[in-house]
Amino acid sequence: MTEVRQEKVDLWGGKLTVTVSVAGSGPPLLYLHQAAGLAWDPFLEHLAGTHTVYAPQFPGTTMGDPYSIHVIDNLSDMVLAYEELVRALGLENPVVVGQSFGGMLAAELAAFFPKLTDRLVLLAPLGLWRDDAPVTNLLAASAEQLPGILFHNPQVAAAAMAVPEDPETAVAATSQMVWSLGCAGKFIWPIPDRGLRDRLHRITSNTLIVWGGQDAFVPARYAADFADLIAHSKVAMIEQSGHLPQVEQFEQTAAAVDEFLS
Amino acid sequence: MKILMFGQAAYRFLPADFAQRYDSVCDTPYALVSKDGMYSSVRHFIDEMVFGARCGFDGVSLTEHGQSSYDVMPNPNVVAGSLAYLTETEDLPVAIYPMGRSLGKSREPVKVAEEYAMIDVMSGGRLIAGFPVGLSYDASINNGVPPIEVRGRFHENLELVLRAWRDQEPFAFNGKHVQYPQVNVWPRPLQEQPPVWLTGVGNPATMQLVLERGFGFNFFGFAGSRLTAQRIFPRFWELAEQSSMARNPYRVGFLQHVAVADTDAKAEQLYAKHIEYAFHTGLGAIPHEKLAVPGGIDIRGVQALLRDPSDFGMYWQMRSASLNDLIESGTVIVGSPATVRDQLTELCQQHSIGNLHAMLSFGSMPPEMAQGNIKLFADEVAPHLRGLWADSGFEHHWWPERLGGKPSGATAKAAKEEVSVS
Repeated sequence: MTEVRQEKVDLWGGKLTVTVSVAGSGPPLLYLHQAAGLAWDPFLEHLAGTHTVYAPQFPGTTMGDPYSIHVIDNLSDMVLAYEELVRALGLENPVVVGQSFGGMLAAELAAFFPKLTDRLVLLAPLGLWRDDAPVTNLLAASAEQLPGILFHNPQVAAAAMAVPEDPETAVAATSQMVWSLGCAGKFIWPIPDRGLRDRLHRITSNTLIVWGGQDAFVPARYAADFADLIAHSKVAMIEQSGHLPQVEQFEQTAAAVDEFLS
Repeated sequence: MKILMFGQAAYRFLPADFAQRYDSVCDTPYALVSKDGMYSSVRHFIDEMVFGARCGFDGVSLTEHGQSSYDVMPNPNVVAGSLAYLTETEDLPVAIYPMGRSLGKSREPVKVAEEYAMIDVMSGGRLIAGFPVGLSYDASINNGVPPIEVRGRFHENLELVLRAWRDQEPFAFNGKHVQYPQVNVWPRPLQEQPPVWLTGVGNPATMQLVLERGFGFNFFGFAGSRLTAQRIFPRFWELAEQSSMARNPYRVGFLQHVAVADTDAKAEQLYAKHIEYAFHTGLGAIPHEKLAVPGGIDIRGVQALLRDPSDFGMYWQMRSASLNDLIESGTVIVGSPATVRDQLTELCQQHSIGNLHAMLSFGSMPPEMAQGNIKLFADEVAPHLRGLWADSGFEHHWWPERLGGKPSGATAKAAKEEVSVS
């Protein structure tokens, strides 16, 4: 397994410290994780085989530093902070990959700063809203509902959402996951629409939109909306997959992303 | 000892299988409601509050809950206003106590300051101002406030409301959550500052705020007073002691369901099905996740709850709890006047409770039964409790002056001065 090292980067006039997980070698790739927090999974491991992966942990989601979520209050400032992060890390034209909430941030970053990247991968991004296909309110769901919202295959869900056996480890992991969802909620509650639809036209990057065909959180219908609004984009629809195609259908998803990046 | 009549406007005609099929908040189908049922539920509720005021209670208190079947009270000030006017016209010396407008959810805090001021004026200075943070589902689902911002909004709004009452000159307010170019509310309260109370669920941060700012502290025994009071009140008094604050019982309020009849056996027989209705279809039917939307509880609070969920008493089993379990855990105190006053006396003495909110109409009670309970409590129980702290030497700094309280300006100042005399 690739060695993952943690880098701490001071941003926002010194008021915000972001922890970045870094691994692999090759051209830079910025990975923005989903609402529940960063998990170093086989997909990231795969990306680190061809790129140097930089995976910043969203403010508040780093274990032991929950209150940095209170530093930045609005989405545009958060996008500016991420742009600062890209410069602070010295990344030149990184590939930007974002999953779910991270996909929304990735799209915002590319819309605010069209020259920041020329290759963008959005895995089931949040950020748009349709009354005829409402996004499920993940944060209001019960623990029993969560697996069915996030996954198509219950066995994959059970494995992915297993709670650690040691009670104190379980408390630390569960409380951090709940808090991390709350941190994302600052920017997606009550409706995950902060006007991205009006900004997507600014994206000039070549963009791959990946979606699980059976996504019960953000319906696959949204893939076409992103594709319609981003000029140089294409969609890879992954069947037999819920909201996390890189987990549920790793091979297909990795192949689609590899092809796009090659 | 101050004894208040507390009420919630439960919808009283839910189907028998409600608790198995529906939740009591947010997505409860309104198709379950009939127009007559809603009218009489609300009408009976207000009638009973008025009846309580006429029976000699020291105050009437009520809560705010949006989109819920167990308390149809989207803004308690609507009813508090009607109670303020009516008790004024009848010259009834009762405190009007909305517990009250949630400041964690309010996007119009100046409106809250104005509403409370209006009630204080209408009642001739009898308002007690409750400011809860707000329940997670109410603040975030019903009102759309991001959960992680609820507490910050509460703090900011509270400062704004108190300043809006206090400052003589108009001021601009540049908050994180709300901005106003000019605040200059009309009317201001008649009281220099109406007594301020916060209701907590056990979070030490809320208790600390109460102590630092000289507010009163409320706790509700909904989840079983025998399970929760012994956890919450010692925690509060320990924090008070650490801050060198006197153990003045008047700064603590407690809410308890009470069902009283001539004998113990008769009380249990009379009220059984209404007790079950109240808890199975009310608090018991609020899903866990609706009370803890992620971000709404601080991460340390989540950790504390995961390690030990006992602050919530028997809430976790409440939806299908037996009558016996509900009574045993103290969700309701049931019995003859002697039984009830003995149990309440012990509870109040043990935890230094100087304000008792008796919930006497609940669940599906028909109005005659509710009024019987209210009257019997007022005549046979309350008089025995009222003198409980008469010889304690403490003054009530969290009660309107017109009703015999000694707020002496800001309650914080008074509470601090008391440290030196106790």
